[in-house]
Amino acid sequence: MGPERQHIVSSYDRELEGIQAMVMRMGGLVEVALSEATTALKTRDLELAEKVRKGDRVVDELNQAIKADAARLLALRAPAAVDLRTVLSVMEISSYLERCGDYAKNIAKRTMAMAGSNEIEGAMSGLVRMAKFVEAMVKDALDAYIQRDQEKAEEIIERDLEADQIYNTLFRSLLTHMMEDPRNIAAGMHLHFIAKNIERVGDHATGIAEQTIYLVSGVLPDDDRPKQDRTLTTLQEGDV
Amino acid sequence: MTNMQKIERDIGITDTKISARNVNVHYGATHAIKDVNVDIADKTVTAFIGPSGCGKSTFLRCMNRMNDTIDICRVTGKIELDGRDINAKSVDPVQLRAQVGMVFQKPNPFPKSIYDNIAYGPRIHGLAKSKADLDEIVEKALRRGAIWDEVKDRLDQPGTGLSGGQQQRLCIARAVATEPEVLLMDEPCSALDPIATSQVEELIDELKQNYSVVIVTHSMQQAARVSQKTAFFHLGTLVEFGDTSQIFTNPTDPRTESYITGRIG
Repeated sequence: MGPERQHIVSSYDRELEGIQAMVMRMGGLVEVALSEATTALKTRDLELAEKVRKGDRVVDELNQAIKADAARLLALRAPAAVDLRTVLSVMEISSYLERCGDYAKNIAKRTMAMAGSNEIEGAMSGLVRMAKFVEAMVKDALDAYIQRDQEKAEEIIERDLEADQIYNTLFRSLLTHMMEDPRNIAAGMHLHFIAKNIERVGDHATGIAEQTIYLVSGVLPDDDRPKQDRTLTTLQEGDV
Repeated sequence: MTNMQKIERDIGITDTKISARNVNVHYGATHAIKDVNVDIADKTVTAFIGPSGCGKSTFLRCMNRMNDTIDICRVTGKIELDGRDINAKSVDPVQLRAQVGMVFQKPNPFPKSIYDNIAYGPRIHGLAKSKADLDEIVEKALRRGAIWDEVKDRLDQPGTGLSGGQQQRLCIARAVATEPEVLLMDEPCSALDPIATSQVEELIDELKQNYSVVIVTHSMQQAARVSQKTAFFHLGTLVEFGDTSQIFTNPTDPRTESYITGRIG
């Protein structure tokens, strides 16, 4: 991890490695939380959902610890160049992961809220497919960060388009179910929020990938990728 | 780079003050400066950084011909001040040093009164027509040196009786008394405490309104704080020269990166 050459002051290296290790631990927890939240949703496992809900506290605490250590490193070491970019990117990635953790927790809470409601046929498989897809994005984004792999990071940003497309499809399908039968509305609303949460996790994975590009190249990529969220115009078209 | 800097650069407010081309310096058999090319902008603070012995002070001293005073030192290449070759036969090095002032690492006030420390330069260059004139020059220089309030009641006392930080500001006031166009500073804060350092840094920031300032410093944080341009020297070569913000966030050369991040280079 980190640049090949070491600092003259070795404790500096240890501190930089320390905050990166924390962010990786946080990444691991968030990956598990997302995966378990998906499983709990699919199998209606309320116990597992409760575990995910409770587990988010650890992620929040790690986020705070990372921010505190990063602030101390900035104040005491005055890092420059790649060291500065390392600290800044760790802080950003930590924020992204913290929000991903919140989304996993929200999925768990909605799973509990939906217990006993109507099952919407076909919607679940799409949601699970999207969740798996986005989980892989988060995992790969963290791998690209560790490996300082700019190419891999760029590829993840491309993948977000596909996540957006899956979300668009889900949105239309949930809307159709709710229009067909009002008894589907309660579950449909929850499932839609879950879909939106998962879509946001994809955006955060993209954010992590962008931080990797910044860390490696010193330049944050332009935010000029085409937006695939077509749901904003769907309602106005009125032809669902 | 901020937008303001971009605009300034685009419309060419920051003109070149000193231009160095293919400068080489030899101390006897030692090749101390190797083919350095650099443009020092007007009304800008330029920092020279690099490990000890990298040639930054030697190069700084080329800009007002201080190396002339060292017998075994040989300088080749071209250095122009406002397009004029400073090493030309017609240039009087004493006049040049009035235009290109210098402040050294250790404060070195003359063993004279505070007043005479400042008045010395203007006197020998004939800048004052009368005593009142000279008084005015002394006050103005001490004000620019941000030390007037501290010494105005004891101008007749020896400059060497001041504290280290005050002495250094006195030396800066002395350097600006001859109305130089360029101010060279060779580690001006290395003997000062943090308060005096901040005062000198604030002063440098004010001086850049009127002068081109070149500062050699071992403190990279100081370089980052006071300068707009940074040059990194290593083993006698100019490795990288660019906007200070770029050098400290995203240097191009791996040697610069190693140095400013405190890695073994």
